[in-house]
Amino acid sequence: MYSAQITRANPTCIVLLIDQSASMSDPFSGDSARKKSDFVAEVVNHTLHDLVIRCTKTEEVRNYYHIAVIGYGRKVWSGFAGPLASREIVPVADVADHPLQIKSSYRRVSDGAAGWVEIPVRFPVWIHPTADGKTPMVEALTHVKQILQQWLSQHPQGFPPTVLHLTDGESSDGEPYDIGREIMSLGTNDGQVLLFNCHISSRRSAKVEYPASENSLPDGFARTLFQISSPLPHSFQAAAAQLGVQTSEGSRGFVFNGDPSSIVQFYEIGTSLTGMTPYRWMDQEITEPE
Amino acid sequence: MSSARQSSTWELRTQQILLPKSGLEFSECEDFIGADEENCRFAVADGATEAFDARNWAQRLAENWVRSDSALTPEAFHSWVATEGLALHSSWSQLALPWYAEEKARTGSFAAFVGLEIDLQTETPAWKAVALGDACLLHCRDGVLIKSLPLSSSASFNSAPLLVASEPSIYKTSEQSLVIDSGSCENNDVLFLLSDAAAAWYLKRFEQNTFSDLFEHNDGAALAEFFENERRTGRIRNDDIAVMRLEIQQRSIS
Repeated sequence: MYSAQITRANPTCIVLLIDQSASMSDPFSGDSARKKSDFVAEVVNHTLHDLVIRCTKTEEVRNYYHIAVIGYGRKVWSGFAGPLASREIVPVADVADHPLQIKSSYRRVSDGAAGWVEIPVRFPVWIHPTADGKTPMVEALTHVKQILQQWLSQHPQGFPPTVLHLTDGESSDGEPYDIGREIMSLGTNDGQVLLFNCHISSRRSAKVEYPASENSLPDGFARTLFQISSPLPHSFQAAAAQLGVQTSEGSRGFVFNGDPSSIVQFYEIGTSLTGMTPYRWMDQEITEPE
Repeated sequence: MSSARQSSTWELRTQQILLPKSGLEFSECEDFIGADEENCRFAVADGATEAFDARNWAQRLAENWVRSDSALTPEAFHSWVATEGLALHSSWSQLALPWYAEEKARTGSFAAFVGLEIDLQTETPAWKAVALGDACLLHCRDGVLIKSLPLSSSASFNSAPLLVASEPSIYKTSEQSLVIDSGSCENNDVLFLLSDAAAAWYLKRFEQNTFSDLFEHNDGAALAEFFENERRTGRIRNDDIAVMRLEIQQRSIS
Protein backbone atom coordinates (compact mmCIF):
# COMPACT_ATOMS: atom_id res chain seq x y z
CA MET A 1 0.00 0.00 0.00
CA TYR A 2 1.10 3.60 -0.69
CA SER A 3 3.81 2.26 -2.97
CA ALA A 4 2.38 2.75 -6.47
CA GLN A 5 4.69 4.46 -8.92
CA ILE A 6 3.34 7.89 -9.87
CA THR A 7 3.27 8.14 -13.64
CA ARG A 8 1.45 10.11 -16.29
CA ALA A 9 -0.79 7.10 -16.86
CA ASN A 10 -1.42 6.78 -13.12
CA PRO A 11 -1.10 10.26 -11.63
CA THR A 12 -1.97 11.12 -8.08
CA CYS A 13 -4.10 13.96 -6.73
CA ILE A 14 -3.10 16.59 -4.18
CA VAL A 15 -5.70 18.79 -2.53
CA LEU A 16 -4.53 21.87 -0.64
CA LEU A 17 -7.47 22.86 1.58
CA ILE A 18 -6.92 26.25 3.21
CA ASP A 19 -8.84 28.01 5.96
CA GLN A 20 -9.31 31.60 4.71
CA SER A 21 -11.56 32.79 7.53
CA ALA A 22 -11.21 36.29 9.01
CA SER A 23 -9.04 35.07 11.89
CA MET A 24 -6.31 34.17 9.39
CA SER A 25 -5.53 37.89 9.21
CA ASP A 26 -4.29 37.72 12.82
CA PRO A 27 -0.54 37.42 13.36
CA PHE A 28 1.26 34.37 14.71
CA SER A 29 2.01 34.64 18.40
CA GLY A 30 5.30 36.45 18.96
CA ASP A 31 5.36 37.74 15.39
CA SER A 32 3.05 40.70 15.26
CA ALA A 33 4.33 41.79 11.87
CA ARG A 34 3.25 38.72 9.95
CA LYS A 35 -0.32 37.68 9.25
CA LYS A 36 -1.07 33.97 9.14
CA SER A 37 -2.80 34.36 5.77
CA ASP A 38 0.29 36.02 4.25
CA PHE A 39 2.60 33.28 5.44
CA VAL A 40 0.27 30.46 4.36
CA ALA A 41 -0.12 31.97 0.87
CA GLU A 42 3.66 32.18 0.56
CA VAL A 43 4.12 28.55 1.62
CA VAL A 44 1.36 27.33 -0.69
CA ASN A 45 2.93 29.20 -3.62
CA HIS A 46 6.29 27.61 -2.80
CA THR A 47 4.66 24.21 -2.58
CA LEU A 48 3.03 24.61 -5.99
CA HIS A 49 6.36 25.85 -7.38
CA ASP A 50 8.15 22.77 -6.05
CA LEU A 51 5.50 20.38 -7.36
CA VAL A 52 5.85 21.94 -10.83
CA ILE A 53 9.66 21.78 -10.71
CA ARG A 54 9.53 18.15 -9.61
CA CYS A 55 7.48 17.29 -12.71
CA THR A 56 9.63 19.32 -15.10
CA LYS A 57 11.49 17.23 -17.64
CA THR A 58 13.68 19.65 -19.52
CA GLU A 59 11.14 21.91 -21.25
CA GLU A 60 8.04 19.88 -20.49
CA VAL A 61 5.98 19.48 -17.32
CA ARG A 62 4.69 15.94 -16.98
CA ASN A 63 1.30 15.43 -15.40
CA TYR A 64 2.28 13.26 -12.47
CA TYR A 65 0.06 15.32 -10.16
CA HIS A 66 -3.45 16.70 -10.43
CA ILE A 67 -3.83 19.57 -8.00
CA ALA A 68 -6.74 21.32 -6.32
CA VAL A 69 -6.43 24.41 -4.14
CA ILE A 70 -9.62 25.07 -2.18
CA GLY A 71 -10.17 27.94 0.18
CA TYR A 72 -12.96 28.35 2.69
CA GLY A 73 -14.11 31.39 4.63
CA ARG A 74 -16.83 33.68 3.39
CA LYS A 75 -17.59 30.78 1.04
CA VAL A 76 -15.98 27.63 -0.31
CA TRP A 77 -14.14 28.40 -3.51
CA SER A 78 -11.16 27.67 -5.66
CA GLY A 79 -8.02 28.98 -4.03
CA PHE A 80 -6.57 29.55 -7.47
CA ALA A 81 -7.12 32.96 -8.97
CA GLY A 82 -7.00 33.95 -12.63
CA PRO A 83 -7.48 31.42 -15.43
CA LEU A 84 -7.47 28.42 -13.07
CA ALA A 85 -10.17 29.78 -10.74
CA SER A 86 -13.01 28.05 -12.55
CA ARG A 87 -11.40 24.62 -12.42
CA GLU A 88 -11.59 22.12 -9.54
CA ILE A 89 -8.62 19.80 -10.12
CA VAL A 90 -5.89 20.99 -12.46
CA PRO A 91 -3.10 18.89 -14.07
CA VAL A 92 0.27 20.19 -12.88
CA ALA A 93 1.31 21.23 -16.43
CA ASP A 94 -1.63 23.65 -16.50
CA VAL A 95 -0.67 24.93 -13.05
CA ALA A 96 2.82 25.58 -14.45
CA ASP A 97 1.52 27.52 -17.42
CA HIS A 98 -0.98 29.72 -15.57
CA PRO A 99 0.49 31.54 -12.58
CA LEU A 100 -1.09 34.90 -11.77
CA GLN A 101 2.29 36.57 -11.94
CA ILE A 102 5.99 35.72 -11.75
CA LYS A 103 8.14 37.63 -9.27
CA SER A 104 11.91 37.80 -9.52
CA SER A 105 14.36 37.86 -6.64
CA TYR A 106 17.69 36.45 -5.54
CA ARG A 107 18.41 33.38 -3.47
CA ARG A 108 21.55 32.76 -1.44
CA VAL A 109 22.85 29.26 -1.90
CA SER A 110 25.97 27.46 -0.81
CA ASP A 111 28.82 27.71 -3.29
CA GLY A 112 29.90 24.21 -2.35
CA ALA A 113 32.91 25.47 -0.43
CA ALA A 114 32.65 27.71 2.61
CA GLY A 115 30.80 30.60 1.04
CA TRP A 116 27.54 31.66 -0.50
CA VAL A 117 26.55 32.84 -3.93
CA GLU A 118 23.44 34.73 -4.97
CA ILE A 119 21.50 33.35 -7.88
CA PRO A 120 18.49 34.92 -9.58
CA VAL A 121 15.27 32.99 -9.09
CA ARG A 122 11.69 33.43 -10.19
CA PHE A 123 8.73 32.95 -7.90
CA PRO A 124 5.40 32.35 -9.57
CA VAL A 125 2.30 33.34 -7.60
CA TRP A 126 -0.93 31.39 -7.88
CA ILE A 127 -2.79 32.43 -4.74
CA HIS A 128 -3.09 35.70 -2.86
CA PRO A 129 -3.58 35.94 0.91
CA THR A 130 -7.27 35.88 1.80
CA ALA A 131 -8.97 36.21 5.21
CA ASP A 132 -12.69 36.80 5.31
CA GLY A 133 -15.78 35.24 6.97
CA LYS A 134 -16.31 32.25 9.24
CA THR A 135 -14.88 28.71 9.18
CA PRO A 136 -17.25 26.45 7.19
CA MET A 137 -15.04 23.39 7.57
CA VAL A 138 -17.79 20.81 7.07
CA GLU A 139 -18.96 22.45 3.85
CA ALA A 140 -15.35 22.61 2.64
CA LEU A 141 -14.65 18.95 3.45
CA THR A 142 -17.93 17.97 1.78
CA HIS A 143 -16.74 19.77 -1.35
CA VAL A 144 -13.41 17.96 -1.17
CA LYS A 145 -15.20 14.63 -0.90
CA GLN A 146 -17.30 15.41 -3.98
CA ILE A 147 -14.37 16.36 -6.19
CA LEU A 148 -12.33 13.37 -4.97
CA GLN A 149 -15.18 10.97 -5.72
CA GLN A 150 -15.30 12.30 -9.25
CA TRP A 151 -11.52 12.12 -9.66
CA LEU A 152 -11.31 8.60 -8.21
CA SER A 153 -13.99 7.35 -10.60
CA GLN A 154 -11.54 8.19 -13.40
CA HIS A 155 -8.37 7.15 -11.54
CA PRO A 156 -9.14 4.00 -9.53
CA GLN A 157 -5.53 2.80 -9.69
CA GLY A 158 -2.33 4.39 -8.49
CA PHE A 159 -1.11 6.36 -5.53
CA PRO A 160 -4.20 7.64 -3.64
CA PRO A 161 -5.01 11.34 -3.23
CA THR A 162 -3.51 13.39 -0.41
CA VAL A 163 -5.53 16.16 1.25
CA LEU A 164 -3.48 18.74 3.16
CA HIS A 165 -5.87 20.72 5.33
CA LEU A 166 -4.69 23.82 7.16
CA THR A 167 -6.90 25.65 9.67
CA ASP A 168 -6.53 28.10 12.53
CA GLY A 169 -9.82 27.46 14.31
CA GLU A 170 -12.81 25.34 15.08
CA SER A 171 -15.46 24.62 12.50
CA SER A 172 -18.33 27.13 12.41
CA ASP A 173 -20.77 24.79 10.65
CA GLY A 174 -20.70 21.62 12.72
CA GLU A 175 -18.51 18.65 13.64
CA PRO A 176 -16.05 17.68 10.88
CA TYR A 177 -15.63 14.10 12.23
CA ASP A 178 -18.14 12.29 10.00
CA ILE A 179 -17.18 13.99 6.74
CA GLY A 180 -13.48 13.59 7.58
CA ARG A 181 -13.92 9.85 8.07
CA GLU A 182 -15.91 9.63 4.84
CA ILE A 183 -13.02 11.20 2.93
CA MET A 184 -10.59 8.78 4.60
CA SER A 185 -12.73 5.84 3.48
CA LEU A 186 -12.27 6.72 -0.21
CA GLY A 187 -9.27 5.33 -2.04
CA THR A 188 -7.58 3.54 -4.92
CA ASN A 189 -6.19 0.04 -5.25
CA ASP A 190 -3.01 1.37 -3.56
CA GLY A 191 -4.60 2.69 -0.37
CA GLN A 192 -7.13 5.03 1.16
CA VAL A 193 -7.13 8.79 0.73
CA LEU A 194 -4.58 10.45 3.01
CA LEU A 195 -6.11 13.30 5.01
CA PHE A 196 -3.54 15.33 6.95
CA ASN A 197 -4.48 18.27 9.19
CA CYS A 198 -2.37 21.18 10.36
CA HIS A 199 -3.87 23.47 12.99
CA ILE A 200 -2.09 26.77 13.55
CA SER A 201 -2.64 29.20 16.36
CA SER A 202 -2.20 32.84 17.28
CA ARG A 203 -1.95 31.83 20.93
CA ARG A 204 1.30 30.97 22.63
CA SER A 205 0.54 27.30 23.26
CA ALA A 206 2.65 24.18 23.13
CA LYS A 207 2.60 22.60 19.68
CA VAL A 208 1.99 18.90 19.10
CA GLU A 209 3.44 17.44 15.92
CA TYR A 210 2.63 14.08 14.36
CA PRO A 211 1.35 12.36 17.55
CA ALA A 212 0.64 8.63 17.62
CA SER A 213 -2.04 8.91 20.31
CA GLU A 214 -4.60 11.39 21.61
CA ASN A 215 -3.10 11.50 25.11
CA SER A 216 -1.11 14.69 24.66
CA LEU A 217 -3.93 16.65 23.03
CA PRO A 218 -5.49 19.50 25.02
CA ASP A 219 -9.18 19.42 24.04
CA GLY A 220 -12.00 17.79 22.11
CA PHE A 221 -11.38 19.78 18.93
CA ALA A 222 -7.78 18.61 18.83
CA ARG A 223 -8.91 15.02 19.38
CA THR A 224 -11.44 15.31 16.54
CA LEU A 225 -8.75 16.55 14.16
CA PHE A 226 -6.50 13.70 15.31
CA GLN A 227 -9.24 11.19 14.55
CA ILE A 228 -9.68 12.52 11.02
CA SER A 229 -5.94 12.48 10.31
CA SER A 230 -4.46 9.49 8.48
CA PRO A 231 -1.49 7.56 9.85
CA LEU A 232 1.72 8.60 8.05
CA PRO A 233 2.80 5.89 5.59
CA HIS A 234 6.42 4.82 5.95
CA SER A 235 7.62 6.83 2.95
CA PHE A 236 6.21 10.01 4.52
CA GLN A 237 7.87 9.13 7.83
CA ALA A 238 11.17 8.80 5.96
CA ALA A 239 10.62 12.23 4.41
CA ALA A 240 9.92 13.65 7.87
CA ALA A 241 13.16 12.12 9.16
CA GLN A 242 15.10 13.81 6.35
CA LEU A 243 13.71 17.12 7.59
CA GLY A 244 14.69 16.30 11.16
CA VAL A 245 11.08 15.75 12.25
CA GLN A 246 10.62 12.82 14.59
CA THR A 247 7.72 10.46 13.99
CA SER A 248 6.93 6.99 15.26
CA GLU A 249 4.89 3.96 14.25
CA GLY A 250 1.29 5.13 14.18
CA SER A 251 2.10 8.84 13.91
CA ARG A 252 -0.77 10.73 12.34
CA GLY A 253 -0.42 13.42 9.70
CA PHE A 254 -1.50 15.97 12.26
CA VAL A 255 -0.11 19.14 13.84
CA PHE A 256 -1.84 21.09 16.62
CA ASN A 257 -0.94 24.66 17.59
CA GLY A 258 1.64 24.73 14.84
CA ASP A 259 4.01 27.65 14.25
CA PRO A 260 5.43 28.89 10.92
CA SER A 261 8.07 26.17 10.75
CA SER A 262 5.38 23.54 11.37
CA ILE A 263 3.48 24.81 8.33
CA VAL A 264 6.52 24.58 6.07
CA GLN A 265 7.31 21.06 7.25
CA PHE A 266 3.67 20.01 6.99
CA TYR A 267 3.57 20.86 3.29
CA GLU A 268 7.02 19.39 2.63
CA ILE A 269 6.18 16.10 4.32
CA GLY A 270 2.67 16.03 2.89
CA THR A 271 3.90 16.38 -0.68
CA SER A 272 6.89 14.04 -0.32
CA LEU A 273 4.93 11.17 -1.99
CA THR A 274 6.48 7.70 -2.26
CA GLY A 275 9.77 8.64 -0.71
CA MET A 276 10.72 11.47 -3.06
CA THR A 277 13.23 13.75 -1.41
CA PRO A 278 11.42 16.75 0.04
CA TYR A 279 12.58 20.08 -1.29
CA ARG A 280 14.46 22.29 1.13
CA TRP A 281 13.77 25.89 0.38
CA MET A 282 13.51 27.30 3.90
CA ASP A 283 17.23 26.91 4.50
CA GLN A 284 17.99 29.06 1.49
CA GLU A 285 17.84 32.72 2.28
CA ILE A 286 15.71 34.83 -0.01
CA THR A 287 16.82 38.41 -0.58
CA GLU A 288 15.70 41.58 -2.27
CA PRO A 289 12.48 40.87 -4.16
CA GLU A 290 12.27 43.16 -7.14
CA MET B 1 43.51 -4.36 -32.10
CA SER B 2 45.50 -1.16 -32.37
CA SER B 3 44.88 -0.02 -28.80
CA ALA B 4 47.61 -0.05 -26.22
CA ARG B 5 45.28 -2.04 -23.99
CA GLN B 6 44.43 -4.83 -26.47
CA SER B 7 46.51 -7.99 -26.47
CA SER B 8 47.26 -11.11 -28.42
CA THR B 9 46.74 -13.26 -25.32
CA TRP B 10 43.42 -12.00 -24.01
CA GLU B 11 40.20 -10.89 -25.56
CA LEU B 12 36.94 -9.42 -24.40
CA ARG B 13 33.49 -10.72 -25.23
CA THR B 14 30.97 -7.94 -24.74
CA GLN B 15 27.18 -8.05 -24.58
CA GLN B 16 24.72 -5.43 -23.51
CA ILE B 17 21.06 -4.68 -23.04
CA LEU B 18 19.34 -1.34 -22.61
CA LEU B 19 15.63 -1.14 -21.75
CA PRO B 20 13.44 1.89 -21.03
CA LYS B 21 10.89 1.81 -18.22
CA SER B 22 7.96 -0.40 -19.00
CA GLY B 23 5.47 1.46 -21.17
CA LEU B 24 7.95 4.13 -22.28
CA GLU B 25 9.78 4.62 -25.57
CA PHE B 26 13.51 4.16 -26.10
CA SER B 27 13.70 7.89 -26.72
CA GLU B 28 12.68 8.37 -23.07
CA CYS B 29 15.34 6.04 -21.66
CA GLU B 30 17.75 7.94 -19.38
CA ASP B 31 20.28 5.11 -19.03
CA PHE B 32 23.19 5.04 -21.44
CA ILE B 33 25.93 2.56 -22.18
CA GLY B 34 29.24 3.77 -23.52
CA ALA B 35 31.62 1.27 -25.14
CA ASP B 36 34.93 1.81 -26.89
CA GLU B 37 36.42 -1.62 -27.49
CA GLU B 38 39.56 -0.20 -29.05
CA ASN B 39 40.18 1.88 -25.97
CA CYS B 40 38.96 -0.96 -23.69
CA ARG B 41 36.73 1.51 -21.87
CA PHE B 42 33.12 0.94 -20.94
CA ALA B 43 30.62 2.94 -18.93
CA VAL B 44 27.04 3.09 -17.73
CA ALA B 45 25.38 6.37 -16.81
CA ASP B 46 21.89 6.73 -15.38
CA GLY B 47 20.31 10.18 -15.67
CA ALA B 48 18.27 11.19 -12.63
CA THR B 49 14.61 11.19 -13.61
CA GLU B 50 13.85 14.38 -11.72
CA ALA B 51 16.82 16.31 -13.14
CA PHE B 52 16.90 18.79 -16.01
CA ASP B 53 18.15 17.35 -19.31
CA ALA B 54 19.20 14.14 -17.55
CA ARG B 55 19.16 12.12 -20.73
CA ASN B 56 21.73 14.33 -22.43
CA TRP B 57 23.90 14.45 -19.32
CA ALA B 58 23.93 10.66 -18.99
CA GLN B 59 24.68 10.23 -22.67
CA ARG B 60 27.50 12.76 -22.52
CA LEU B 61 29.06 11.10 -19.49
CA ALA B 62 28.87 7.56 -20.84
CA GLU B 63 29.94 8.25 -24.40
CA ASN B 64 32.65 10.82 -23.76
CA TRP B 65 34.30 9.03 -20.84
CA VAL B 66 34.98 5.89 -22.87
CA ARG B 67 36.60 8.00 -25.60
CA SER B 68 38.83 9.85 -23.18
CA ASP B 69 42.17 8.66 -21.90
CA SER B 70 42.20 10.10 -18.42
CA ALA B 71 39.69 10.61 -15.59
CA LEU B 72 40.83 7.64 -13.54
CA THR B 73 42.17 9.62 -10.60
CA PRO B 74 39.94 11.77 -8.39
CA GLU B 75 41.55 14.99 -9.65
CA ALA B 76 41.32 13.97 -13.29
CA PHE B 77 37.71 12.84 -12.90
CA HIS B 78 36.67 16.05 -11.13
CA SER B 79 38.31 18.09 -13.87
CA TRP B 80 36.70 16.01 -16.62
CA VAL B 81 33.24 16.37 -15.02
CA ALA B 82 33.73 20.15 -14.81
CA THR B 83 34.53 20.31 -18.52
CA GLU B 84 31.58 18.15 -19.48
CA GLY B 85 29.26 20.12 -17.18
CA LEU B 86 30.33 23.38 -18.75
CA ALA B 87 29.65 22.01 -22.22
CA LEU B 88 26.20 20.78 -21.15
CA HIS B 89 25.25 24.11 -19.58
CA SER B 90 26.54 25.97 -22.65
CA SER B 91 24.17 23.92 -24.80
CA TRP B 92 21.26 25.40 -22.81
CA SER B 93 22.33 29.02 -23.04
CA GLN B 94 20.59 29.72 -26.35
CA LEU B 95 17.32 28.11 -25.32
CA ALA B 96 14.30 30.30 -24.56
CA LEU B 97 12.96 28.40 -21.58
CA PRO B 98 9.68 28.73 -19.70
CA TRP B 99 10.07 29.74 -16.02
CA TYR B 100 9.96 26.19 -14.68
CA ALA B 101 12.60 24.91 -17.08
CA GLU B 102 14.78 27.92 -16.32
CA GLU B 103 14.42 27.22 -12.58
CA LYS B 104 15.20 23.55 -13.03
CA ALA B 105 18.18 24.27 -15.26
CA ARG B 106 19.76 26.42 -12.54
CA THR B 107 20.56 23.36 -10.47
CA GLY B 108 21.94 21.56 -13.50
CA SER B 109 21.65 17.89 -14.24
CA PHE B 110 22.47 14.72 -12.32
CA ALA B 111 23.43 11.16 -13.21
CA ALA B 112 24.91 8.07 -11.61
CA PHE B 113 28.05 6.90 -13.36
CA VAL B 114 30.35 3.90 -13.43
CA GLY B 115 33.29 3.67 -15.82
CA LEU B 116 35.62 0.72 -16.38
CA GLU B 117 38.99 0.48 -18.11
CA ILE B 118 40.49 -2.91 -18.81
CA ASP B 119 44.14 -3.53 -19.63
CA LEU B 120 44.65 -6.79 -21.50
CA GLN B 121 48.34 -6.22 -22.22
CA THR B 122 49.58 -7.31 -18.86
CA GLU B 123 50.18 -10.97 -18.04
CA THR B 124 47.11 -10.83 -15.83
CA PRO B 125 44.31 -8.67 -17.21
CA ALA B 126 43.67 -5.71 -14.92
CA TRP B 127 40.78 -3.30 -14.49
CA LYS B 128 40.35 0.13 -13.02
CA ALA B 129 36.95 1.62 -12.26
CA VAL B 130 35.49 4.93 -11.24
CA ALA B 131 31.97 5.28 -9.83
CA LEU B 132 29.73 7.88 -8.26
CA GLY B 133 26.10 7.19 -7.42
CA ASP B 134 24.31 3.88 -7.60
CA ALA B 135 25.42 2.57 -11.00
CA CYS B 136 27.62 -0.43 -10.16
CA LEU B 137 30.44 -2.67 -11.25
CA LEU B 138 30.16 -6.35 -10.30
CA HIS B 139 33.14 -8.69 -10.76
CA CYS B 140 32.21 -12.39 -10.89
CA ARG B 141 34.32 -15.52 -11.03
CA ASP B 142 32.80 -18.97 -11.51
CA GLY B 143 29.38 -17.59 -10.66
CA VAL B 144 30.61 -16.04 -7.41
CA LEU B 145 30.61 -12.29 -6.74
CA ILE B 146 34.13 -11.28 -5.76
CA LYS B 147 33.72 -7.50 -5.84
CA SER B 148 30.96 -4.93 -6.12
CA LEU B 149 31.28 -1.17 -6.14
CA PRO B 150 30.31 1.46 -5.16
CA LEU B 151 27.41 -0.42 -3.49
CA SER B 152 27.68 -3.98 -2.28
CA SER B 153 24.24 -4.99 -1.04
CA SER B 154 20.74 -4.86 -2.49
CA ALA B 155 19.56 -3.04 0.64
CA SER B 156 21.89 -0.10 -0.07
CA PHE B 157 19.85 1.36 -2.89
CA ASN B 158 17.69 4.33 -1.99
CA SER B 159 15.98 7.08 -3.91
CA ALA B 160 18.46 9.84 -3.10
CA PRO B 161 22.04 8.78 -3.88
CA LEU B 162 24.81 11.33 -4.36
CA LEU B 163 25.27 11.71 -8.11
CA VAL B 164 27.52 13.31 -10.70
CA ALA B 165 26.20 16.88 -10.84
CA SER B 166 26.79 19.07 -13.86
CA GLU B 167 26.71 22.21 -11.71
CA PRO B 168 30.19 22.67 -10.17
CA SER B 169 29.11 23.91 -6.73
CA ILE B 170 26.71 20.99 -6.34
CA TYR B 171 29.25 18.48 -7.66
CA LYS B 172 31.63 19.74 -5.00
CA THR B 173 29.25 18.45 -2.31
CA SER B 174 29.26 14.91 -3.72
CA GLU B 175 32.81 14.48 -5.00
CA GLN B 176 33.97 12.97 -1.72
CA SER B 177 31.75 9.98 -2.49
CA LEU B 178 33.69 9.15 -5.66
CA VAL B 179 34.93 5.56 -5.60
CA ILE B 180 38.01 4.50 -7.54
CA ASP B 181 39.16 0.91 -7.38
CA SER B 182 41.08 -1.71 -9.32
CA GLY B 183 41.35 -5.46 -9.67
CA SER B 184 42.72 -8.28 -11.74
CA CYS B 185 41.00 -10.96 -13.79
CA GLU B 186 41.36 -14.61 -14.57
CA ASN B 187 40.22 -16.49 -17.62
CA ASN B 188 36.39 -16.47 -17.93
CA ASP B 189 35.89 -13.78 -15.31
CA VAL B 190 32.81 -11.67 -15.96
CA LEU B 191 32.39 -7.97 -15.23
CA PHE B 192 28.98 -6.32 -15.22
CA LEU B 193 28.31 -2.59 -15.46
CA LEU B 194 24.77 -1.93 -14.27
CA SER B 195 22.35 0.90 -13.64
CA ASP B 196 20.66 0.87 -10.24
CA ALA B 197 17.57 -1.29 -10.74
CA ALA B 198 19.58 -4.01 -12.47
CA ALA B 199 22.40 -3.75 -9.91
CA ALA B 200 19.97 -4.21 -7.02
CA TRP B 201 18.42 -7.17 -8.83
CA TYR B 202 21.81 -8.83 -9.49
CA LEU B 203 23.03 -8.27 -5.94
CA LYS B 204 19.81 -9.77 -4.58
CA ARG B 205 20.41 -12.88 -6.72
CA PHE B 206 23.91 -13.23 -5.29
CA GLU B 207 22.65 -12.70 -1.73
CA GLN B 208 20.02 -15.42 -2.24
CA ASN B 209 22.47 -17.74 -4.03
CA THR B 210 20.17 -17.78 -7.06
CA PHE B 211 22.49 -16.08 -9.53
CA SER B 212 22.61 -17.46 -13.04
CA ASP B 213 24.22 -15.68 -15.95
CA LEU B 214 21.27 -14.75 -18.15
CA PHE B 215 23.47 -13.72 -21.04
CA GLU B 216 24.89 -17.21 -21.53
CA HIS B 217 21.69 -18.62 -22.98
CA ASN B 218 19.54 -15.67 -24.02
CA ASP B 219 19.57 -13.26 -26.92
CA GLY B 220 18.47 -9.62 -26.61
CA ALA B 221 14.78 -10.31 -27.21
CA ALA B 222 14.71 -13.10 -24.63
CA LEU B 223 16.49 -10.90 -22.09
CA ALA B 224 14.03 -8.05 -22.69
CA GLU B 225 11.13 -10.43 -22.16
CA PHE B 226 12.77 -11.84 -19.02
CA PHE B 227 13.23 -8.41 -17.42
CA GLU B 228 9.72 -7.34 -18.41
CA ASN B 229 8.40 -10.38 -16.59
CA GLU B 230 10.56 -9.58 -13.56
CA ARG B 231 8.99 -6.10 -13.54
CA ARG B 232 5.49 -7.54 -13.72
CA THR B 233 6.16 -9.76 -10.72
CA GLY B 234 7.74 -6.87 -8.79
CA ARG B 235 11.14 -8.55 -8.46
CA ILE B 236 12.79 -5.63 -10.24
CA ARG B 237 11.72 -2.01 -9.98
CA ASN B 238 10.15 -0.47 -13.09
CA ASP B 239 13.16 1.65 -13.97
CA ASP B 240 15.39 1.94 -17.01
CA ILE B 241 17.76 -1.02 -17.24
CA ALA B 242 21.33 -0.91 -18.53
CA VAL B 243 23.54 -3.99 -18.38
CA MET B 244 26.97 -4.24 -19.97
CA ARG B 245 28.55 -7.69 -19.65
CA LEU B 246 32.24 -8.19 -20.31
CA GLU B 247 33.83 -11.63 -20.28
CA ILE B 248 37.60 -11.98 -20.20
CA GLN B 249 38.78 -14.87 -22.35
CA GLN B 250 42.16 -16.27 -23.20
CA ARG B 251 42.63 -16.42 -26.95
CA SER B 252 42.84 -19.92 -28.32
CA ILE B 253 46.17 -20.59 -30.05
CA SER B 254 45.62 -22.24 -33.41
